[in-house]
Amino acid sequence: MEILRNLFEMTAFGSLFQSPETVLMLLIGGFLLYLGIVKGYEPLLLVPIGFGVILANSLGGEMGVVPENDEIMHMSLLEIAKNHGIMNLLYYSLIKTGLLPPIIFMGVGALTDFGPMLRNLKLAFFGAAAQIGIFSVLLGAIAVGFTLKEAASLGIIGGADGPTAIYTTIKLAPHLLGPIAIAAYSYMALVPVIIPFVVRLTTSKKELKINMKEQDKLYPSKKPIKNMKVMKILFPLMMGGIVAVLVPSAVPLVGMLLFGNLVKEIGSSTERLHKAASGGILNTATIFLGLTVGGTMTASAFLNTQTIMIIVGGFIAFCFSVAGGIYAVKVHNIFAKKKINPLIGATGLSAVPMASRVANEVALKHDPSNHLLQYAMASNISGVIGSAVAAGVLISFLS
Amino acid sequence: MNEGFSTALMLLAVGMITVFTILALIVIVGNILISLVNKFIPETKIRAVVKAATLGAIDPRKMAAIVSAVDIVTEGKAKVTSITKAE
Repeated sequence: MEILRNLFEMTAFGSLFQSPETVLMLLIGGFLLYLGIVKGYEPLLLVPIGFGVILANSLGGEMGVVPENDEIMHMSLLEIAKNHGIMNLLYYSLIKTGLLPPIIFMGVGALTDFGPMLRNLKLAFFGAAAQIGIFSVLLGAIAVGFTLKEAASLGIIGGADGPTAIYTTIKLAPHLLGPIAIAAYSYMALVPVIIPFVVRLTTSKKELKINMKEQDKLYPSKKPIKNMKVMKILFPLMMGGIVAVLVPSAVPLVGMLLFGNLVKEIGSSTERLHKAASGGILNTATIFLGLTVGGTMTASAFLNTQTIMIIVGGFIAFCFSVAGGIYAVKVHNIFAKKKINPLIGATGLSAVPMASRVANEVALKHDPSNHLLQYAMASNISGVIGSAVAAGVLISFLS
Repeated sequence: MNEGFSTALMLLAVGMITVFTILALIVIVGNILISLVNKFIPETKIRAVVKAATLGAIDPRKMAAIVSAVDIVTEGKAKVTSITKAE
């Protein structure tokens, strides 16, 4: 009997019976794995996050992230590892320091092609308009009782950029990291549903039939680029300079994005750096980011009304951002001769390149000859810069 | 609450103006950059120079593919001067 009792205590069964909310968290972890593996929703993120949730809620495993407190903030990393386990070591060294999101941005930069944006520079404005979701939901979140810092972290979900949302939350409201990361990545995975939904509510069939190539023929560009290779090297440098001067707090994100892009565009002489940034480093950072974000989702940190409000608020922020871009195009079309398809505005939020692909598919449904992927990518990429700048503004004012 | 609301309103205004200003600057300076690059460093077209003797010996489509490949791999620094079949 004694042996059986010892065996029972060794396992997690006893603890599980005492805390049914942990069972619920294990089910949530399993559901995230299901979404990633079976449904294919953002598997590169949802699989590590889902697994991190399961690890964090494996009682006795010491894999749950301990909320920030005075004691832990004065510990060395060695003491954190010894007293709270390796998940806390990873969290406090890689996430709490804000290291991983800029590293991921470097990888994103190494995979980004600024060519479409350069060919259609004017479309960058719609990447700015689509940031309205961030700031409008910030207002709404204050109204329902969030603090300013929490509201800003919630609003940034509307930027549709996972690393930016995580970076902002680490800086402003680290206790909300789990639900905000989950909301951000879930809605990014749902871009193929959300964009058509908002487009249906805000645009007419006539507007969706605006053919971008025909508009280009009617009103051709006055400035064809004669040396794209040189432009692709100079452009990120110029953009980095502007951001560094005006919003220095956005430099960790934008700067690393532009560095990653630069090593890509230089060509064969930095090919090894490009491969490292877009391959091994990006993948390693993604694994640790996912696992540690999942590690923050213990029952006590996740199961509360704030999480539900974050999920709802994140959805509203996303929809407002898409609608903001669309209405900016509509306003433009009132005054300009050269019309723009509102779908270009819908891609002004980040979520590169999925938002552009979705916009292209919607356009093709209305006009099979209307391939607008390249145009959508222009506003989509500027949306990445726009959301990073918005994050920089929030961090510099509120941190 | 009121103070938080007014700060949030201020952030809405400052945030949107900043994002628009930065992207507007990127558009303006980007256009200036395109003009300067077009004027001072336009791409030089690399014309393949192939020895007359080899012209008849190779399919023009294959020759175009070889010239393009050399152009891409060497980033325009090399020219094809002759094509000989390896034994």
